[in-house]
Amino acid sequence: MKIVLDHLQVQQGEWSLLVNGTFEEGIHLVSGVVGSGKSTLALAMAGIFTPSQGTVKREGIKTLMLSTQFPEFHITRLSIAEECASWGLDYKDVIRSARLKVDGNVSPLSLSRGELKRFHLACILAREYDLLLVDEPFSSLDCIEKELLCRELSTHDSGITIIFTHEQSIFPHVDHLWEIDAGELCALGRLPGALTRWQRAPALIKKLTDLGRCPVNLTPDAIREAACRIHE
Amino acid sequence: MITIHDLRYRSLAINSLSIPPGITTVIGPNGSGKTTLLRLCAGIALPDSGQVLVDGVVPRETETGWVNEFPDKNILFPRVYDECASALRFRHNPCPDTDTSVRRIAETLQISHLLTREMRAISGGEKVLVALAAALVTSPRLLVLDEYDSHLDAACCDRIELSIRNCGARYVLRCTQQMEIAALSDLLIYLEQGKVRYAGTPDEVFSSLSGTAFYPLSWRCRV
Repeated sequence: MKIVLDHLQVQQGEWSLLVNGTFEEGIHLVSGVVGSGKSTLALAMAGIFTPSQGTVKREGIKTLMLSTQFPEFHITRLSIAEECASWGLDYKDVIRSARLKVDGNVSPLSLSRGELKRFHLACILAREYDLLLVDEPFSSLDCIEKELLCRELSTHDSGITIIFTHEQSIFPHVDHLWEIDAGELCALGRLPGALTRWQRAPALIKKLTDLGRCPVNLTPDAIREAACRIHE
Repeated sequence: MITIHDLRYRSLAINSLSIPPGITTVIGPNGSGKTTLLRLCAGIALPDSGQVLVDGVVPRETETGWVNEFPDKNILFPRVYDECASALRFRHNPCPDTDTSVRRIAETLQISHLLTREMRAISGGEKVLVALAAALVTSPRLLVLDEYDSHLDAACCDRIELSIRNCGARYVLRCTQQMEIAALSDLLIYLEQGKVRYAGTPDEVFSSLSGTAFYPLSWRCRV
């Protein structure tokens, strides 16, 4: 199973994005500065956005899910119970997995933004997909919830999971790293080698790689382990 | 000084809190009341009981700039330039003055290239930057930022941090989930279940949070 982006090009005025690449099974992290086109790329991969040129080929992918940056965009019903039912889920299970302290009658839009994000992610992650596209999944989540989400995403051992994010400190286990730089998607390769090629790596990662203590992955444990080696 | 006395609003309960001029950051778990506290200080919500005063004045009579984490909620105009100019136009400022102010703030935040774009065509992070420009264009006394940084990359956060420090606002009140940014504050407040659990300098508050996920990773790694 894979998704192939062949000379995909998006042009909007002076802004452009060029993408060539193949995403195979595993967990991929796509980074890039504000406005570089991460969300546009996610929409194109999901088939929601038609690029100016090029093709998106999804091979062997039968199920696909896109989680957008803002959870409000996903809400279609007036209560948590109805919203869960629209996903084919039991609201009690979702409330439990999202660690919410509410009942099914309340409106999803009455939750705090972090709680809404947890609710939305719980609906998304209740099922497995061949292709899971998650745009800024960590935004609005507190540090504890970010770590819990990372643990959950790290357990994805089948299908293609693509995370589009600006996150700087808390990451799941990542197999492949990509970066949008100067209007083009660059494949940085597999971790840990990819970390040394990451132009806009988070400050801590940059510091560790500059000191020759490249972490084996991006998980908090891997980063701490690399940092400990500095102090040996 | 921003003073809070016997504040009660939904699940938020703060008996006494003083916030001095400078940068104050509110952190805490989801649902702990961070956004609620910010909304009360900005005058967007009114307390059920108790009082919030900004230098002795209620928030609604204080010049306040507000940036929401979900900027779509606050967007009024379809074009970036018009959104940035909105607060000055509502005051009937002379058009040339408004134009000068908008272009100056756009240059400071490095969004001049977005001014002619449609709001719907820009990214989530860019919308936050536009919302920040719209908030700063009036040179507010109180700038309130609700998780403005969760859709921004690191370089952008660094740039914005500098702009926030130089914006001239007497008070900057913000919440974030990025503890490295929280560590740059003058006052740090940790909320839990609607109550102030810790308040003090970043060193003081984070020392109480060592061993938790809220302790900055770079401090944990000592690099």
